[in-house]
Amino acid sequence: MLKTFLIGIKDLRLAFRDRAALIFMLAAPFVLTLGMGLVTGRFSGGSNGISDIPVVIVNLDNEQLGNTLVDIFNSDDLADLVEPTSSADSEAARLLVDDDKAAAAIIIPEGFTQSVIPLAGEQPIEKKIEIYANPSRQTSAGIIKSIVDEFISRVDEGSVSGQVAITQLIISGRLAPQEAQATGEEIGQRLNNTNDDALAITLNSTTANGEAVEFDILAYLAPGMALMFLMYTVSYGGRSILAEKAQGTLPRLLVSPTNSMQILGGKVFGIFLTGAAQMLILIGATTLFFQLKWGDALGVIILVLAAVFGATGWGMLITALARTPAQVGSVGSATMLIFGILGGSFINIQQMPSYIQMVSKVTPNAWALDGFTTLGLGGTLADLSTPITALLTMGIILFLTSVLLFGKKNLVQK
Amino acid sequence: MKKIFAIAWKDAILRFASSSELIFFIILPITFTFLLAGGTPSGDDDNRVRLVVVDQANTSISQEIIAELDKSTAVRPDMVSLTEAEDEFSSRRADVVLIIPVGLDLESIQNGTAQLDFRQQPNNLNASVAQRAIQTAIRRVSSAVNAANMAVEEAEARGTFESSNDQQAYFNDALKLAKSVQEDVPERVNVVEGSTPDQVEYDPRANQSAGQLITWVFIPLFGISALFAYERQQGTLRRILTTPTSKATFLLGTISGQVAMALIQMSLLILFGMIALNLSWGREPLALFILLTCAALAAGAIGTTMGTFIKSEGQASGLSIMAGMVMSLMGGCWYPLELFPPVVQNIVRILPTTWAMQGLLDLVLRGGGLVDILPEAGVLLGFAAIFFSIGIMRFRYE
Repeated sequence: MLKTFLIGIKDLRLAFRDRAALIFMLAAPFVLTLGMGLVTGRFSGGSNGISDIPVVIVNLDNEQLGNTLVDIFNSDDLADLVEPTSSADSEAARLLVDDDKAAAAIIIPEGFTQSVIPLAGEQPIEKKIEIYANPSRQTSAGIIKSIVDEFISRVDEGSVSGQVAITQLIISGRLAPQEAQATGEEIGQRLNNTNDDALAITLNSTTANGEAVEFDILAYLAPGMALMFLMYTVSYGGRSILAEKAQGTLPRLLVSPTNSMQILGGKVFGIFLTGAAQMLILIGATTLFFQLKWGDALGVIILVLAAVFGATGWGMLITALARTPAQVGSVGSATMLIFGILGGSFINIQQMPSYIQMVSKVTPNAWALDGFTTLGLGGTLADLSTPITALLTMGIILFLTSVLLFGKKNLVQK
Repeated sequence: MKKIFAIAWKDAILRFASSSELIFFIILPITFTFLLAGGTPSGDDDNRVRLVVVDQANTSISQEIIAELDKSTAVRPDMVSLTEAEDEFSSRRADVVLIIPVGLDLESIQNGTAQLDFRQQPNNLNASVAQRAIQTAIRRVSSAVNAANMAVEEAEARGTFESSNDQQAYFNDALKLAKSVQEDVPERVNVVEGSTPDQVEYDPRANQSAGQLITWVFIPLFGISALFAYERQQGTLRRILTTPTSKATFLLGTISGQVAMALIQMSLLILFGMIALNLSWGREPLALFILLTCAALAAGAIGTTMGTFIKSEGQASGLSIMAGMVMSLMGGCWYPLELFPPVVQNIVRILPTTWAMQGLLDLVLRGGGLVDILPEAGVLLGFAAIFFSIGIMRFRYE
């Protein structure tokens, strides 16, 4: 047992002395987490990164409804979300979108107000607001459209209410037809002044785990990156086994009173220790530098150990299947990246097709990231039974398979 | 010229000595493009946010709300049971859940007690989009009731009803009329996709294809640094001193060989985009070629400069991948630049990946041509000139 432990410690020290390995183990996940934090607005106080959407408004209507829409975009409520500018020229506004200077152009046509509220004795002429959307800013253009949609639904609500009230009054004999225009204007004015935003149906909105939990987006991104580069570490450890075999240092150990199981156990323990140390250093660094709250400490430690166990299993399998250290290196790096994307380090796997979500379950990244997200949302060790069980099961299956393959290879013999 | 070709050929042999190089050359780029583009709906797919809906009320009003949500351009209602919804939400498989509770009917709207439960995952962009869409649907459904209520109020202001039955009959008539008027309300918004002179069909997957192309071409080109470090460690660079080969010839041979390989890699990825994802990459081949060549030269130049600073092959390899990934992330190759905070959007203009991505999007999404990508190509050439100068000045054989 002591020998196994000593071999493990020796490998841990060797790994942390290798500057090239440290780039992957610590520098890369840290720098990428920093980059992710910057692009998501985590370090600039943004809640989701989208703000100050540039939108150009062309108000050719210049009447009640057109002016109201302009006022909405210039209101304090939307001050952080949109950055509106005005233009008198529709073509110039479209050009700004084409040149990627704006996410969308809103062109309110001349006579739009009259198309909704026609003048006395005139038939309404259909006019449409044009949203000229930037195809490379799909999300921002979608938000602009939803704001215009909401405005239009309010306009329609007012219009329908006025029409129904007047028609019913006339039908019931409470209003003479010749008074309709004046009464309609009076109702419209009243509706305008009421400015009642309340909906007839109350929408009770709640966030997962209650309103009190403020989820830090970095609590998803930082574990994603750390887990991806954990796969590098486990393959790096596996590579050292084959390198030692090639150099003859592994068989030489057999001269000492150490059996092959102790040697292999020590090597695996070394990989496990290195992976755990890498994860804990990254957790410590992100806590210190980014004030990231990882959640329940006991849960974090147990989850880290389970994730490293599952990942080490993969490292051993790659080593058992490979013939040379170089093969472990390239297959390990490829596995690191593929598991990274399948496990949700780059993109939320819920956005992917269901069969890819199914495939992602073979990666330790997906299970561990699920666990870290649970902790980030205020969960505790008790909530981690599924990911921890999955990671331990994965590790055991992969270890057993690797031992069988190692047995066939007679690894410790030169 | 013969020497340059010989050096380039030697580098190609060295690089592809192991078949595992193919993993990084073509397998990983295609896998990433496929997975990331697979996670992005195409122009033909329903790309609305999935809204899990539980209808416990099962009334005409609840059906109307669901029908309105179905018409929405922002959300796609998916009916499930309460147990399924809670399971999906707790396991974070659903971003947003709408529960229409028992008792939601016309009467509850009239007396102001109607309520809906909306559950959302924290910090979720889809959740805020869905909430807005639900509010719009509620407004549409309840506006008929609101209109009928208002009609009753206006009537009462002009004289009371004889009985509560009369009042209810008046309300019912007004409601019927309101629904009929609502049905005749014309569309008042017209959405036009930004100008694409040749009618390029917008496909959000183009973004991922372009981003992955840049990522996987920049990483090996930064890897020129590893090539220099390897040759320096092996002493083969020193041996070149004994041959009549100038520093410029050696560098030109190495860099042009790597840039040529990058162009082959990019062509394969573009073919994949065209055939597997049906993207319109081939619309402006000359502009595309110029842009990709400029991008490859910029990346190759940065790799050359890195090679003059880094000592060992292992360090160079690690730093190349790290620098490639960070520059791609910050340059908008993984996530659209529009999602970045405005300050960061401006800062990342110092990166060649930002300009390369901008140029590719001009071509594939905005329907641009040669003239449109000239500014991006110019900036990329500027990067190439600066970093080649630094690299050549600092280059040492030993």
